Amino acid sequence: MKKATGNKIRLGIFVSAGFALLIVCIYLIGERQQLFSNTFHVSGIFKNISGLQIGNNIRFSGINVGIVDDVEQLTDTTVKVDMLIDNDARKFMKKNAKAIIGSDGLMGNKIVIITPGTYGQKPLADNDVIATEQPITMDDILIKLKVTGDNAATITSDLAIVMTNIREGKGTIGKLLMDTAMANEVDQAVVNIKQGAGGFKQNMNAASKNVLLRGYFKKKKKKDEEKDKK
Amino acid sequence: MLANSKISNKMDSKKVTTSSENSYGKSLKGFFEEVTLLTRFTVRFFKELIKPPYEFNEFFKQSYLIGYKSLPLIAITGFIMGLVLTIQSRPTLAQFGAESWLPAMVAVSIIREIGPVVTALIFAGKVGSGIGAELASMKVTEQIDAMEVSGINPFKYLVVTRILSATLMLPILVILSDVISLYGAYIGVNLKGDVSFDLFFIKIFDKLVFTDVFPAVIKTFFFGFVVALLGCYKGYNSSKGTEGVAEAANTSVVYASLMIFILDMIAVQVTSLFS
Repeated sequence: MKKATGNKIRLGIFVSAGFALLIVCIYLIGERQQLFSNTFHVSGIFKNISGLQIGNNIRFSGINVGIVDDVEQLTDTTVKVDMLIDNDARKFMKKNAKAIIGSDGLMGNKIVIITPGTYGQKPLADNDVIATEQPITMDDILIKLKVTGDNAATITSDLAIVMTNIREGKGTIGKLLMDTAMANEVDQAVVNIKQGAGGFKQNMNAASKNVLLRGYFKKKKKKDEEKDKK
Repeated sequence: MLANSKISNKMDSKKVTTSSENSYGKSLKGFFEEVTLLTRFTVRFFKELIKPPYEFNEFFKQSYLIGYKSLPLIAITGFIMGLVLTIQSRPTLAQFGAESWLPAMVAVSIIREIGPVVTALIFAGKVGSGIGAELASMKVTEQIDAMEVSGINPFKYLVVTRILSATLMLPILVILSDVISLYGAYIGVNLKGDVSFDLFFIKIFDKLVFTDVFPAVIKTFFFGFVVALLGCYKGYNSSKGTEGVAEAANTSVVYASLMIFILDMIAVQVTSLFS
């Protein structure tokens, strides 16, 4: 008799533990889905929701504040997304806040990101329609990447032609780099310039000692000394 | 002489074909007979279930034996299941740089599929075979007949209580097994990483939704029902002495395991229709 009662108590604990865990699990999932919290509704009209689904998270300043409550196709180009947002976040979301569809990491689920809006504006009210921005889709990125790739291909083919011309000694840079006769001429020109500069220096020394020009050179020397003192 | 031997060969081959056709026909006939008997057995269960008097004491005793007594085995396998699944999944996720998804992935796998199915299979091995062997041995030793003679309804006392207990106890075992598996997964995650319990917990419940939990729990009622139903059916209708006891224990586990997979496939299809 005593053993049977003990077994019944053990069975009761076992069953209660199972039920308690199930209820805790249901409560925690429900809490994440805003079932037990005070919420308000906001909706946004998008052209393309990029696979956003009911239950996806709403993120504000990097914090999950709600979930997507409903997705409804209005016309052939517009989709209405109803959002259920925690009331505690409402005071930070201004009337000119914007909703953008983003992604939770590279492979993650789609999320709605709400920007806060500007200071001084009134907070969002229940059932407000929030402004939206079109998300950048993977297709958009691929199209831009293709244009960039095409441009890079054109630039590299032009560069290849320029390099071929340079190697063949065509054009000014090609001659400068590849033509040995021109290099000799440049060398000779530098030698000539050096010689010319030496001759010019000698002439100037002679001129400074000339009677007619000596006064001018002395005045100039004095002015330079005064400048240095200052 | 040659002509005679040809004729006899032809006759032999005809005999073989006829006998194989007969055996296929017999086994097909046997299968449909078995289905009919099992359906009758199930209908009788529901009739006896609602008809008083109710064997509450036997029901509690069976619930204790089937549910509480199976907990250690289920807990150990659940813990190992969570731990191993985490360790095995880590390298693949690490290749994508998605190790942070490990808790959520393991939790969804365990709660949706692995937890209910593996627990039900172990339950079939322990409880299904036990019920089959126990009822079969009672049958061959004529204890069931003795019960009938002494005015006790053996079907109500032995079958209804066991099927009802198994149907109600398996979901509780699965819930406890899932929780223990998740604890195993937490340890598995921390073998090569450093994730706090709070973060692990948040990551799990961030990804879980009601459509992960409810269908998984609901299908376990059916798993429990099928395991006990087949065990009781095979045991209650066994014959051939001690050989029949072994056969009842064996076939009840085999058929129950097969039925668990078939029911799981149906459950997945039904769930995908609604989600």
